[in-house]
This record gives sequence, C-alpha cells and structure tokens, in this order.
Amino acid sequence: MPEQVSDAPYALEVDNIHKSFGSVEVLKGISLAADDHDVISILGSSGSGKSTFLRCINLLETPTSGSVRVKGELIEMKQLRNGQIVPSDRKQVDRIRSRLAMVFQQFNLWSHMTVMENVCEAPVHVLKIPKKEVQEHAESVLHRVGLFDRKDYYPAHLSGGQQQRAAIARALAMNPDLMLFDEPTSALDPELVGEVLRVMRGLAEDGTTMLVVTHEMGFAREVSNRVMFLHQGRVEEDGVPAEVFNNPKSERFKDFLSGNLK
Amino acid sequence: MDIEAIVTNLPLYFEGLVTTVQLVILSLALGLVLAVPVGLLASSRSLAVNFLPKVYIYFFRGTPLIVQMYIIYFGAGQFEPLRESLFWPIFKEAYSCALIAFALNTAAYTSEILRGAIIATPFGEIEAARASGMSKWLVMRRVVLPSSFRRALPAYANEVIFMLHGSALAGVITIIDLFGAARIVNSRHFVPFESFITAGVFYLILTFAIIWVFKRVEFRWHAHLRQRSS
Repeated sequence: MPEQVSDAPYALEVDNIHKSFGSVEVLKGISLAADDHDVISILGSSGSGKSTFLRCINLLETPTSGSVRVKGELIEMKQLRNGQIVPSDRKQVDRIRSRLAMVFQQFNLWSHMTVMENVCEAPVHVLKIPKKEVQEHAESVLHRVGLFDRKDYYPAHLSGGQQQRAAIARALAMNPDLMLFDEPTSALDPELVGEVLRVMRGLAEDGTTMLVVTHEMGFAREVSNRVMFLHQGRVEEDGVPAEVFNNPKSERFKDFLSGNLK
Repeated sequence: MDIEAIVTNLPLYFEGLVTTVQLVILSLALGLVLAVPVGLLASSRSLAVNFLPKVYIYFFRGTPLIVQMYIIYFGAGQFEPLRESLFWPIFKEAYSCALIAFALNTAAYTSEILRGAIIATPFGEIEAARASGMSKWLVMRRVVLPSSFRRALPAYANEVIFMLHGSALAGVITIIDLFGAARIVNSRHFVPFESFITAGVFYLILTFAIIWVFKRVEFRWHAHLRQRSS
C-alpha cells in the first residue's frame, strides 16, 4: 500500500467492502487506498468480484457494509428499517459520481446522441458548465482520444474501439478526480484492443488517477504502478507490478498467471 | 353516379374536414400531454405507483371508443349534481364530450406505447447516465425519454392514424365532421355510395399527410439508426 506522504487525503479510500447478492457473498472485505496519479490494475478470473468491487465504489452496487471516501469525503450510508443499507443523501452520491468517471465494458454510449453530444451531455447538465466552454473542452478531449474527425457520428456508426475511445472522452470531459475502467477492452475485437490501451496509457502518463479492472496483463505490468488480484471476493495479491508478477506469493495468482501467460 | 350532389355539398365536406382535423389534433395533443406522465408511472416497477395508471390504461383499451364516448356524452347528463355543476357546459356539448373521450382513449394507447419504449431502454445507457452523476429525473429527461420517444415513433404513427379513423365516431353524436358531413349529404340526396366514398377520399388524403409527416420526423429522429451515407 502506498505510503501517505502528506496530510492530503487519499484520492480514494475504500474500507472493508462486503457485498452479498442474496445469500451469495461476492465481496468478503476489500480495502484499497489510492493516491493521486495512481494507476491500479485489478485482476481476477470471472466471478472473482472485481467488477462488483469497482461498481461498489461509485455505488452502482450498494455495498452490504464498508465505506468509501473520495478525497476524504465519506459517502454517507444509512440502514433502513428492513435492514437494507442505502445512501443517506442521493445528492451526495450524484455529486461524487460526477467526480468518478466510469468507462464500461459495453461502452454504454447514449445511442441517440452524436459523439460530441455524448461528450458534452454530463458537463452541461450535471456540472452546469456553460455550453460553449464545454464544447471547447470536448474538442480537445476528442483530439486526445483521436476521435475529433468522428465527433458528429452516432455510436452505431463507429467501430468498437472508436466507441470505447468516445466513452473515454465522455469520461474525461468531466475532469474527474478518478477514472474507473470496468474491463474496457473485453468486448473488443483483438485488433481494436491496442487503440484503446494506447489512449489509456496516455492518460496514465499524464497523471490521471485510474482504477482498471482488466484482463490485459501487459497493461497491468507495464502501465499500472500497483496490481491487485482478487479471488472469490478477497484480495489474494497486492503490490507493485514488478514484484507481484515476478514473485507472486499466492498460489491462486500463480495459477492465474500460468493460465494467462501461456 | 350523382356527382352534382357531392359538388354542391363540397363546402359541407370542407367544414367537416376542418372539424375532423381540429378534433384529431386537439385529441392527440391532450392525449400526448397525458400519456407522458401516465406512461412514466406505468413503467415503474412499484405496484403503488403503476397500479392506477395501469387500471386507467386497461379500462380505455378494454372498452370500445364508441362506448366511452356514449358514457361521457349521454351517460354524464343522467347525474343531477353534474348537470348543476360548472362542468355542465362541457358535458352538454357533443364536441367537448367527443374531445374528452378521444383524448382519454388515445392517451391510454399512447401511454402503453411509451411504457413499452421506456422499459426497452438499454440498461447500460441508464447506468452510464447514473454513473455520470445524473439524478433520477435528469436520467429520465435526458436519456430515457428522448430515446423512448424515438423507439415509440413508428407505433405512435399508427396510433395517430387510428385516432383519425376513430374520430369518425364524432359524426354519430351530431358533430359535423367528415363522417357527419357524409351522413348529412346521404340523407339529403340518398346517395350513400357517393357521399361516403367522398368522405373516404378525404380520410385517405389525411392519412397520406400523417404518413408524410412521420416520415420526415423519423428521418430526423432516427439518424442514429440509419446506415451512414458516405
């Protein structure tokens, strides 16, 4: 775990998250603290809970217990009379979500909007930034992901790789404190993975704080400064990539690596 | 063929045409305004929220339009308190009764079209909207409704045509719409074929106009569904 050098709060601090779906406990106590500019790869086989963990951070899934702090601000939760845990303040959740941009496996672009409209939507309507200002920023963001010439296209008219880059542009346009990537390349054809990873690598080099659930070992090893391996809802391995990949401590992670790196 | 009977009565047909167009446009406008909230509520998963909208939709889809119109026009007058209330001028007039019946009827069908379109919104798009910090209401307004209206468009075009044809029932309760005009011409000259085929031609032309309008709207609204032209 990276040491906290100053009094500045962690960019993200997740403490002892549990999540159950019915009687199935998917997350069995996961904690994580990320500093600004950290790029953390979260690995694990399917069913390990890694996507659920990521979705608990911005409350797309409500954790059964545990806490999330963004830049030191605790997301307030309360217990209903039936025992269910829910956020106390929807407005706080919305505000925090607007600072945690998410990129999805299936892109999830708004299909009736052009790329430009997708990118401008939340900055204009959530952050209430004047449209003109947003448009200028959107153009620079689209240049950054290499999609400026496709700004007036609808998502259906783009390739998967282009759609995912548009989704990254949409996330970037929010100027987020932290970006959450939920298997951003898993739905792509192999030859389209590279263009998305290149964009993500560029973001990492520019100091973007990123949490990336991924199967891309190359990305985890070369781009991230920390790797977490989840297995059956627990953290099995956690450390800097060089160490974790060269000297894995857990048997599970060794098995996982030998399966992935054949 | 008695063309002359038709030609001399053309002003009457045009009067009917204006009434029909007016009645249909008003019914559709009122119906749509009512259908958006009803469709939204009916698409809720909560029984407490969707129960009443669903009962309303069921009643108006479950009974013939002519029965609904008769209940409102003939049935309402049976109640003394209503006759003495300030609403009586509305229920006394055939025109306003037809308008109420048509608007409530088309609203029910339109609500159901919208409900279907709303629940078919791709969940990922809703999730992306929530993840960007949109409130529930903003997600509805910016993502769910705009995409649902697009999905609902072809079915709604059908509903508009049904409403046009259904509006002929107004002619049964003394309103001189297109069908009412045809009935008058027929009773004056006893030329059933000529009088009704003339009304039919007017309805065909109106339907053509509706199809044309929707084609234009679809062209604009469905740009994201078209194959991209180079």
